[in-house]
Amino acid sequence: MKLKQLLVSSFILVSATAWAEPSYRLFVTNEKSNSVSVIDSRTGEVETTLDIGDRPRGIGLSPDHKTLYVALSEENAIGMVDVATLEMIGKLEAGEDPETFDVHPNGNLYLSNEDDAKATVINPSTGKIIEEIRVGLEPEGVAVSPDGSIVLVTSESTNMVHVIDTAQHKVVANILVAARPRGLAFNSDGSRAYVSSEIGNEIAIIDTKTFTIIKKVVVDVPKSKPMAIKLSPDDKTLYMTLGRAAKVVVMDAESLDIKTTVDVGKRVWGEEISRDGSRIYTANGVSNTVSVVDTESNKSIMEIEVGKGPWGLVIDD
Amino acid sequence: MQQFKKWGFALLCMLVQPALAATIDVQLHYVGPTEGSVWLGMQQGLDEANLQGEFLGQKYTLKPVTVDELNHLDSVTAVLLASDADQVLEIAKSERFADVPIFNLTSDADKLRSACLPNLLNISASQKMKQDALAQWMKKHPESTAHAQGWHKDFKKFAASQLNIRFTKAHGVIMDDDSWAGWAAVKLLSDTVARTQNDDATIMLKYLKNDIAFDGQKGEGATFRKTGQLRQLVLLVENNKLVAEAPLRGVKGGLDSLGLKSCN
Repeated sequence: MKLKQLLVSSFILVSATAWAEPSYRLFVTNEKSNSVSVIDSRTGEVETTLDIGDRPRGIGLSPDHKTLYVALSEENAIGMVDVATLEMIGKLEAGEDPETFDVHPNGNLYLSNEDDAKATVINPSTGKIIEEIRVGLEPEGVAVSPDGSIVLVTSESTNMVHVIDTAQHKVVANILVAARPRGLAFNSDGSRAYVSSEIGNEIAIIDTKTFTIIKKVVVDVPKSKPMAIKLSPDDKTLYMTLGRAAKVVVMDAESLDIKTTVDVGKRVWGEEISRDGSRIYTANGVSNTVSVVDTESNKSIMEIEVGKGPWGLVIDD
Repeated sequence: MQQFKKWGFALLCMLVQPALAATIDVQLHYVGPTEGSVWLGMQQGLDEANLQGEFLGQKYTLKPVTVDELNHLDSVTAVLLASDADQVLEIAKSERFADVPIFNLTSDADKLRSACLPNLLNISASQKMKQDALAQWMKKHPESTAHAQGWHKDFKKFAASQLNIRFTKAHGVIMDDDSWAGWAAVKLLSDTVARTQNDDATIMLKYLKNDIAFDGQKGEGATFRKTGQLRQLVLLVENNKLVAEAPLRGVKGGLDSLGLKSCN
């Protein structure tokens, strides 16, 4: 009996430090039905729908993939869910109107407060707000560099990408980009960042050594409103959602030439890519669906019904 | 190595900073009431311009002047007007302001558009734009009692709700056509200065007329027509409720289906 107990507790100890086994769950925030759809990414079946809180938007995982974080914009909080058991663990105070966030390799959350022109840093293990950093108006996209040294934040209504040095939590550079910058993505070594501009209908590449724009192009797709950006695991291909154009554009990540476009649902915003790069998932805010795109054929192979106003998604794979 | 990296980063920051150190001071001149909608809209625009300027190195001030004072200033960057159509025309036609951007904030008079003056920029929707918007709506809804306007407190799309929220939070009143125009004019100017890194009137006017794609938080990047009219959608409002946006779906010509399209 005692031995068994010892075994159990040592097992817990081990599992607490090791990575969790992938659940292959795809989590989707439904902004207008205050829920998170949980999809088995291997089958496309909706496993369950979680009542999460008011106006869920940004979504992400802890570095060990054990905790799901969801920005609850109208509760000024981040909801936490256990990825394995799907139980609500609790809520973190997040400042006013948290919209989206990214998770630092050390576990801290960097989030944008849309109505408050600031970025907030939260330590989820203590539940404390570590820092509030003043940025431009309507901060939106947030991306932490792969090594965690910098964080980029876009300010939609002042058209900037702010560079925050995570060691001192200060804005160290500002890059003016085309109107209404939204999405951000780093390449895998962090030497480059990509930024989309919704109203300017542009995508730009930023050199993260000089913080200058090294290339930008207007997206030549009818009705295009560039939003979220994901890169293939080899950094060669870029997938960007185009909002009202109801498409994902597939681009060469170096030249920014358009390879093709993929039809997905209406008002496509959020985007996720599987770890192996074989699938793109999009949140289609007006269709109330998630599209699954096969990146070999660049075709949508499935459209999954979710809640109302799907906004963002994250996969545990 | 870590130390080196840190110093390298500090050095880089020093290299990036000088661009910020050289602050451009931009003074805008304004003729019109110094309270009410249009004034509050300009104050909102100034706050936002100065927030951007904190990061990019610009400082904006707005100086209310009389027409007489305006005519005796040594240098003018841009002039914002909330006065009647005749006064706007007179100032815009004045030789000394031929290369200065003159903003008409509040007059919807069609003659300010059909005059086709190269330096006059009309921010709010013209009478004809509103008439055309209403005609598009009435064709489908002949019984409607709707009217057309430029902005509405319940307008949510294109991040209009964020603008409505922050305006009301700052000033305690709703945003209307005039406050939107005041806000938009200052933001058009700050966008221009930030992107050209210049506050020379001639350069600004050229950029405004040819290159700007302005995020007025009402859809597409806004541009100016040859008539000096800012292209924008028009809202249809019935019983104080927002019922549609013009151009209505299916109408040919997009935003140019509203108002005077070009100069002859």
